[in-house]
Amino acid sequence: MTSLETDITALKSRPKRHDHHGLASTALVIGYVFLILFPVMWMWSLAFKPEDVMFARPTVWFFTPTFEHFQYMLPTGYHEHLLNSLIISTLSTALVVVIGTPAAYAFARFRDMKFRDDLFLFVLATRMAPPVCLIIPYYLIYAKIGLLDTYLGLTIAYLTFNLSFYVWVLSSFCRDLPLELEEAARMDGYSRIGAFSKVLLPLLRPGITATGVLCFIFAWNEFMFAFLLGGQNVKTLPVGIPSLITTQGVRWGEMAIIGMVGTIPVMIVVFFLQRHIVRGLAMGAVKG
Amino acid sequence: MPLPDPSTGGPPNHSDSSWYPYFLIAPTMITLTVVALLPFLYMAFISLHDARYGQVGDFVGLQNFTSLLSDARFWNSMWVAFVFVSIAVPIEFMLGLIGALFLSQNIRGRNIIIPFMFIPSMMAPIIVGLVWKMMLAGSWGFVSFNILERFNILTGSSIFASPDLALYGIIFVDIWNWTPFMVLTFYAGMQALPVNPYRAAAVDGANQVQIFFRLTLPMLAPLLAVIGLLRLIDAFKVYDTIYILTNGGPGTSTESPSILGYKYTFDFWDIGQASALAVVIWLLFFVFCNVFYQIAKRRLNLF
Repeated sequence: MTSLETDITALKSRPKRHDHHGLASTALVIGYVFLILFPVMWMWSLAFKPEDVMFARPTVWFFTPTFEHFQYMLPTGYHEHLLNSLIISTLSTALVVVIGTPAAYAFARFRDMKFRDDLFLFVLATRMAPPVCLIIPYYLIYAKIGLLDTYLGLTIAYLTFNLSFYVWVLSSFCRDLPLELEEAARMDGYSRIGAFSKVLLPLLRPGITATGVLCFIFAWNEFMFAFLLGGQNVKTLPVGIPSLITTQGVRWGEMAIIGMVGTIPVMIVVFFLQRHIVRGLAMGAVKG
Repeated sequence: MPLPDPSTGGPPNHSDSSWYPYFLIAPTMITLTVVALLPFLYMAFISLHDARYGQVGDFVGLQNFTSLLSDARFWNSMWVAFVFVSIAVPIEFMLGLIGALFLSQNIRGRNIIIPFMFIPSMMAPIIVGLVWKMMLAGSWGFVSFNILERFNILTGSSIFASPDLALYGIIFVDIWNWTPFMVLTFYAGMQALPVNPYRAAAVDGANQVQIFFRLTLPMLAPLLAVIGLLRLIDAFKVYDTIYILTNGGPGTSTESPSILGYKYTFDFWDIGQASALAVVIWLLFFVFCNVFYQIAKRRLNLF
């Protein structure tokens, strides 16, 4: 009985009090988390380090923080990159949610429709394709029709990976919806579209939020399209990083500031969405 | 053909309005056709043409493909990708499994710990590269000075300046980046396993090792396959991190196919060759994708 209990609790992870085994594991896991986060904190610290402390050998642990890197950054227009990142990520996410939600529902709900597997595989394939495969035609086409260095251009380019991601992952949320509910709504006289928008959509809201926010983060993090299809007008935050590797040397402190600003939204999201991130990053294959 | 679905008992037939699902997916399909399929077809068209110096010129048949396949740099990039994937992914896999087993113990404050573990895999790849550019910078980088120099592995210069070690540096960064994600995925997968087999095993007096190898691992196998494939695909197309850390250098020692495709396009302006490379990669990926889908659908009963 006792061994059965411990095995099942160990595997299904119900916390038990006064368990020394658990304490050791806790210490190990916390140590591991510290190890993976230390480099990130190290980068943050560089944003406040004077150069002599930054390059000191041996490593200096305690220093008076300086704001010289921030002072260098302010007049150079990097805060506009932040705004550009926000605009493009928001626009592309909004577009993805509007276009993709009905499709995600249809793929989950009408599993016996013709060509479903082929169409769904097509959606997956656009998500999996490496961006380098798309960058060439995009560059040539955009140069021809004048979409290089525009908000619209980047917003469209981000649809390639975000729309397919959104449909694929949200459809795994849609599969959890109870079928009976829709049927009950139809009995009550709702039309198909009415049942979907009035009854199912509110239930789907957590899934839509989680998947949409992940799309926002992917757009926020995107570098290659922004680097090659953007320009002087619509530089996004990540594109600012390589531009600080100058011929006069590398501006580490300023790069650290961009790195820090770029990770803040990610951290916020991680704390609010932790339950859904596994499912998102695993393309719906795992329910978090 | 969709298989019968045991989890929902199979949805009832709505043959009365068979246009309705297509009406719902139409906006997505049209958008994806315009933003992904048409550009891809255009690129396939370019790959059959002479397109040096950024001008699409005469039809040359498969000449771009033959010259691609005879280019040593192409095979080098495939080798780089192969080494990268075949070292990084198995290590992430094993560490992920071990980590998931630890996380399944009676951890205090697990709900506070878990979000922190998501941070590396949610960070922008370019910032991940930046973090490690700083940690592994020559002479003053934290790891360079405190670990690599102390143990005389490398002195004075960054690991990314060494043609022999640069690729391993990038592999290390990838492991740092993706192991926590593997831990959390496998942990979530373990939580979703049914309890009854464990009860039976405990009654039969099986020990922890037996339980892991005879029960947990086989039951997790389809999930492991799907996640492994996903990581394989993502690892194969990594670009941002390598771009900021080495840009394919020193020489061509870290030149992955994505970096090479970029260089063909924007350094050599040989768009025909770059398109041929992209078509080859894309075909390769389509095979991966198909396998992913088949396993996920048939073995995991997902999607």
